[in-house]
Amino acid sequence: MKQFAKMAIPYAIWAAVMIAIPMLMILLYAITESGNGVVTLKFTLDNFIYFLTDPALLRVLMTSFKIAIYTTILCILIGYPAAYFMSKLNEKYRTTVLLLITLPTWINMLVRTYAWMGMLQVDGLFAQILGMLGIGDVQLIGTEGAVIFVMVYNFLPFMILQIYTSLSKMDKSYLEAASDLGANKVQSFWRVTFPLSLPGVISGITLVFLPAASTFQISQLIGQGSVPMIGNLIESFFLKTGDWNKGSAISLIMAVIIMFSMYLAKKVDKDPSTRGRI
Amino acid sequence: MKPLIQFKNIVKEFDGQLVLKGINLDIYENEFVTLLGPSGCGKTTLLRILGGFLEQTEGQILFDGEDISKVEAYNRDLNTVFQKYALFPHMNVFDNVAFGLKIKKMSKDIIEQKVNRMLKLVNLEEYADRGVNELSGGQQQRVAIARALVNEPKVLLLDEPLGALDLKLRKEMQKELKKIQQEVGITFIFVTHDQEEALTMSDKIVVMKAGEIQQVGTPEDIYNEPVNEYVANFIGESNIIEGIMKKDYEVVFEDKKFECVDFGFKPDERVDVVIRPEDLEIVPRSQGKLKGVVKSVQFKGVHYEIIVETRPGTSITVMMKVSDDRPVINEAAREKMSANDFYLDVEDVKELDDAEIVARADAQAWSMDDDELISISKVEYDIKPEKGTYPVTFSTSAGTSFTVNMIVKDQNRVESKEYGEEIFAENFFKKVDEIHESVALDTDLKIWANAQAWDLDEDIPVEITTVDYDFDPENITPGTYPVTFKTTGYEYKVDTTDYAEVDSVVGLTFEPEDIHIMSKETF
Repeated sequence: MKQFAKMAIPYAIWAAVMIAIPMLMILLYAITESGNGVVTLKFTLDNFIYFLTDPALLRVLMTSFKIAIYTTILCILIGYPAAYFMSKLNEKYRTTVLLLITLPTWINMLVRTYAWMGMLQVDGLFAQILGMLGIGDVQLIGTEGAVIFVMVYNFLPFMILQIYTSLSKMDKSYLEAASDLGANKVQSFWRVTFPLSLPGVISGITLVFLPAASTFQISQLIGQGSVPMIGNLIESFFLKTGDWNKGSAISLIMAVIIMFSMYLAKKVDKDPSTRGRI
Repeated sequence: MKPLIQFKNIVKEFDGQLVLKGINLDIYENEFVTLLGPSGCGKTTLLRILGGFLEQTEGQILFDGEDISKVEAYNRDLNTVFQKYALFPHMNVFDNVAFGLKIKKMSKDIIEQKVNRMLKLVNLEEYADRGVNELSGGQQQRVAIARALVNEPKVLLLDEPLGALDLKLRKEMQKELKKIQQEVGITFIFVTHDQEEALTMSDKIVVMKAGEIQQVGTPEDIYNEPVNEYVANFIGESNIIEGIMKKDYEVVFEDKKFECVDFGFKPDERVDVVIRPEDLEIVPRSQGKLKGVVKSVQFKGVHYEIIVETRPGTSITVMMKVSDDRPVINEAAREKMSANDFYLDVEDVKELDDAEIVARADAQAWSMDDDELISISKVEYDIKPEKGTYPVTFSTSAGTSFTVNMIVKDQNRVESKEYGEEIFAENFFKKVDEIHESVALDTDLKIWANAQAWDLDEDIPVEITTVDYDFDPENITPGTYPVTFKTTGYEYKVDTTDYAEVDSVVGLTFEPEDIHIMSKETF
């Protein structure tokens, strides 16, 4: 066993250098004043106060979470039925459908987002189609709707795969038992299939909500700056104004909120007393 | 009495394979019926068709006189205890049991009352709030029974429900299941492959084999009067001997006449005679109806299981010629080579090829430096399919060669009319080293002598169970040794509390009513 333990050392070093130290740096930046020298550190909470008292910044935070929540809900609403029908499919077709769903993720997300940018442009494909249908000039690019749409497009496969996995590994005998006890197909679904697939839904939420809340590429490209999200804010503090201390403080606040929501999700998932009681 | 369930010519086909070949069976109210058979006999399929989880290819199921073939599983008035229980993992014990009642939208207080009464019946009142995965196998089993029974079905189906439990728990659950069935007074249809389980619990046993019903009857009927060899063997261990029914109440087996209680066979009809091991008694040889030699004695807890051989099997003795020949040495090429003379019969000559000759002669060449085997590149011989001695020369590409003799002679075989079998084996040559190096000498002797036994009636191989020789393999010296190969003879299994010495001659005795006569299977 000891020899194997030694094999973990390179990873431990890697984790320390690439994960722990940068995190500590962010923490350090967040609680110090800007313009510090290496030797003279001045601690302050001003960075947090600045963020939490500026209504404009808080609004950005709200928008971010609103978009992330909408995206997640839409992913569940579209992803669950899709995953359900996939799990009912004949073995032969399953692999093909699975491939079709994962195929887009083989292409870089940025490239796909650029493609959508082109299609949603003012004179883009969608505008032309809407024009031909006589709906007329509808502003697509730069709207919250467009941002949510592209996010759903990008993150949907993760949701489908998570739910599909939990549905397809579910023991068929549970359904037989439900049917044996008098439950018809609808009752079986709501009382057995759905509660048993919740862990899949929860991990799907984790995989969608996290990146959706912190993305800056999609909101930048599709939102065109008019749908500012927290990711864009952090980016601009670090890259545009060079105020690393405020940027770090916002990152930390974001991290805390996300960790808290993940904690809630896990609690719902694990606690047997709250697990899908009927 | 009117049957509750009637299977009418149920046929089930899976991918062109017939799993059920026309099942006709009546099941009555309050019966504990067991479907018994080995895995793959179709018993679970039949149960699943009744439960509504499978659809039969042909035939009808009548429930209370009504055809339920097209009724969905959730509308059938029966409940199932599944093989692995299939308890809902996201619900606690109470909710699992309450599931069916909630589906029926009963009021809360009635549900609570019924569930608690049911949990009491299966002794799990204390466990209502537990998660099902925190329970032991036996407890899960009881939850599954409660979950099914709470719906007050007319029939409870149980699909090998005790399979996952250990022996002690199985015994307890067997008793408990029987008790529950008597208490609730409904029909239980129980599937198992365990004959003992079937005998202890059932009112009626249905023995199945390959999609067909073999026999339906009470445990006593099935045990004492099995209809054929298959049922007799499946229900407990049996001694089955071939015999001839001379006339009513008189049967001949082992060349002796015996009184029996069976009648209604044709005169001189060939039959199988069944004697249960516990019905046989070991007595001094002079008092026995049959005489035999004790082959083995095994202690089984309360009794001994003693095997008595009344007639030895077919045997053949061959000569093993052991030499201490040294391999030839080719110093120039640094190679060694060895091979044996060997016997073969005229029939074998036609099918002879180089590979076969190398194998039979056990010809080998190897390097003197690293012991690596070297391939034999040339086999030279000239052989005719008639008796005689023919030399064969093996050589390697480096020029090392060795010559041995192939001796063609008539087949050495022994035929036994009584058993309808024959056995053959050949004399063979071996070197001292090869016998020393053998790790499974009995098997090697069979291979070296090419010993085989055949059933002449059915043309299938018969196992050679005994290999006798009178030499010490560790310290064998060159010379000629007899080796005898034997098949199993007439053996009787005896369950008795008396002890008998192995190899002693004893008598066997039994009462006329212990003899059960069955017609020969006609398949």
